[in-house]
Amino acid sequence: MDEWIRQAESWVGQAEGWIHQQPPEQIYVAAAVVAITILLLITVSCLKSSKPNTIVLSGLSGGGKTTLFYQLRDGSAHQGTVTSMEENNDTFVLHSEQERKSKVKPVHIVDVPGHARLKPKLDEVLPKAAGVVFVVDAQDFLSSMQAAAEYLYDILTKATVVKKKVPVLIFCNKTDKVTAHSKEFIKKQLEKEINKLRESRTAISSADISDEVQLGVPGESFNFSQCLNRVTVAEGAGSTGNVSAVEEFIREHVKA
Amino acid sequence: MLEELLIFTRGGLILWALSGGGAQASPVDALIRSGLLEERPADGAGFSLDGKRALNWAFDNGLGLVFVAVYRRVLRLLYVDDLLAAVRAEFARVYNPKRTSYDGFGDVFRQLHLEAQARADEMNKFKQAPIKPRPPSPVPVPLSHNDVPKVPGDDGGNDGESQQGGSDGESGKEENSGDPEPKDGGAFNLGILHRLRIKVIPTKDINNVNGNKNNNKGRKKNKEKEGTHRKLDFSDPVDGGKVTDHVVVKKGVQGQSQVDTDENVGDGPKAEGWFSSVFQSIAGGNTVIGKSDLQPTLKALKDRLMTKKVAEEIAEKLCESVAASLEGKKLGSFTSISSTVQAAMEEAILRILTPGRSIDILRDVYAAKERERPYVIVFVGVNGVGKSTNLAKVAYWLLQHDLSVTLAACDTFRSGAVEQLRTHARRLQIPIFEKGYERDPAVVAKQAIQEATRTKSDVVLVDTAGRMQDNEPLMRALSKLINVNSPDLVVFVGEALVGNDAVDQLTQFNQKLADLSAVPAARLIDGILLSKFDTVDDKVGAALSMVYVSGAPIMFVGCGQSYTDLKKLNVKSIVNTLLK
Repeated sequence: MDEWIRQAESWVGQAEGWIHQQPPEQIYVAAAVVAITILLLITVSCLKSSKPNTIVLSGLSGGGKTTLFYQLRDGSAHQGTVTSMEENNDTFVLHSEQERKSKVKPVHIVDVPGHARLKPKLDEVLPKAAGVVFVVDAQDFLSSMQAAAEYLYDILTKATVVKKKVPVLIFCNKTDKVTAHSKEFIKKQLEKEINKLRESRTAISSADISDEVQLGVPGESFNFSQCLNRVTVAEGAGSTGNVSAVEEFIREHVKA
Repeated sequence: MLEELLIFTRGGLILWALSGGGAQASPVDALIRSGLLEERPADGAGFSLDGKRALNWAFDNGLGLVFVAVYRRVLRLLYVDDLLAAVRAEFARVYNPKRTSYDGFGDVFRQLHLEAQARADEMNKFKQAPIKPRPPSPVPVPLSHNDVPKVPGDDGGNDGESQQGGSDGESGKEENSGDPEPKDGGAFNLGILHRLRIKVIPTKDINNVNGNKNNNKGRKKNKEKEGTHRKLDFSDPVDGGKVTDHVVVKKGVQGQSQVDTDENVGDGPKAEGWFSSVFQSIAGGNTVIGKSDLQPTLKALKDRLMTKKVAEEIAEKLCESVAASLEGKKLGSFTSISSTVQAAMEEAILRILTPGRSIDILRDVYAAKERERPYVIVFVGVNGVGKSTNLAKVAYWLLQHDLSVTLAACDTFRSGAVEQLRTHARRLQIPIFEKGYERDPAVVAKQAIQEATRTKSDVVLVDTAGRMQDNEPLMRALSKLINVNSPDLVVFVGEALVGNDAVDQLTQFNQKLADLSAVPAARLIDGILLSKFDTVDDKVGAALSMVYVSGAPIMFVGCGQSYTDLKKLNVKSIVNTLLK
């Protein structure tokens, strides 16, 4: 240890001597170049991280997220989809906006797999989200109601979502089918289920290091309007191309 | 004939379908959900049964594509693997990430199909004895016919011996203590487990008939002995299953159950040797990963996993599965092979340990409450793993959430078991249903549940006797208990100290529960409670082995011997510890 200190001191002495030998102008120029570079880097990084422009498509497996993704990008669902094993990640101009002659800013959309085992992927993507679309299967809703409510609860109580007030759109998909439920029904059922979840999860709230945030107002039954971030409900159908509600949501929250 | 051949991206978009209509997506969906996402297949190509259809699949890791062929199981088409490989090669030439429709591929495929069929016919002619189709009998089909099934019979033998030391001192009536029986000869069949979980009726086990005979002899001898001894057992004779009243015992402040505290875990260990890996990777920018490149890293990882007490077969299978998923992939710039492999392994373990369904017990309890039924949890496991202790911890936790709990003493075998539960019940001030010793546990459980329904109790925790996994009569009794009472949750208590035996325990438990059940829809293990976690510092591999083998999530972790020492599994910290 002492040796190293002595060596370091000798190096510092040598460096000082060398600096004294140089003409002063060169030193000033070098210092100025370094300072300007640092300033440039700082401003660039500040500008970049100001507004995230990622929209996250989430929801249970089988809800129609991948179909929705391809509808937004290409205007058609191609030959169909299977359960996703990985996320679909792309930056593109919305298909419906491609006909516009004016310059349209591309959106970055991430379609996260809905399978329960791939849940950690959602946690990676959420911090960068400017908006979250939660896709619900309106046709097969009742059997998956509990799981959907739990998933939605997890999203709504994530610290990053609440702090940045990320808006959430609950998109009721597959409304082109006859047996699909209405969005009002789905909204009410989800509120009821989340209410139940709220009670069972936060019964003991002295969890100190928690990623969860209290939802709603204690004592009152849960309502989406009680959330600090905006939660809206819309309906449509991914396979037929009826996705205007999602597109409006995207344009609203990602500057075009 | 092939029913369907799908080519799709890992993100889920179908690029080309033989039937053109995408109508047959459901067996493929089931395959993805149950098979591919659980890291079960050992090779890149695999073969799985799904009711009437068989599926073969292949990966192209470089492009991120999956090829799946579906055909009727009765037609044992032998050329499918060959065809898949050919299709993979051809499609890789045509593939373009921007394109989403490949209509021209239909002709190419037809050509390839004919060629593959021709090759298979030729091979048939060369072989003297024709390839007999495997008899559609209850012989379990291995999950991948490319795999050479290892012989865990040896493993089983060794584990049997080590188990003797570990089992409780149950003298006299101890069954099967003498012989470490060879396990049913044949491969360690993940295929069986897989089928069990799809609830197909598996076959009966014809083995272990000897075990039965030994048991009967042992029991008879003992009964003769007892008569001659003085009465040493002064446990209170219990009369008729009345629910004992609460004895007013001052309930000390125990503190809070640790289940509800969250733990924050940072990221895992960064790749070591930053400098060396940087220099390596600058050299290898765009190389494609080959099998030989992966071997040394994978071997090192496998050894590391085994030092963390992951069962050997599990570590092997996991490494093979990671190798299959990385072969053919392009190395990113500025990454070395070891860091890529490490990342892939980390992701695979994370995926296995993340529960595949919700494990929120409180929510299920509330749901049962609405239906005016108690929520029944049965604790099963081998001897001495900590069922009774952890049952008390779970009861404590439930009490803290303002639920009313009843204990059911269905361990009518071990001396002192009923008293132990009685003591817990007194300390926690909750009712206990007991009928003493030498009763049929299934009947005791049934009466306990009826009593709980009458007293409007929210949860019933059923304690059962510890039993070895290869003890047929005891497993039969357990199966009867579970089927008669149809509990809401069957929790397998496994200790974290166990190494390779965890694999055997869980496989056998599940298999016996399925085989010996009288009803077609057998109940299997729904969740795992990992006990004695505080005794292993960082050798946490048992968690991975158990989850991999059974597919059941770890619901609780017991980390101590007092009431508050019950936690939820922190997946990230286990992953970090395993790969440190």
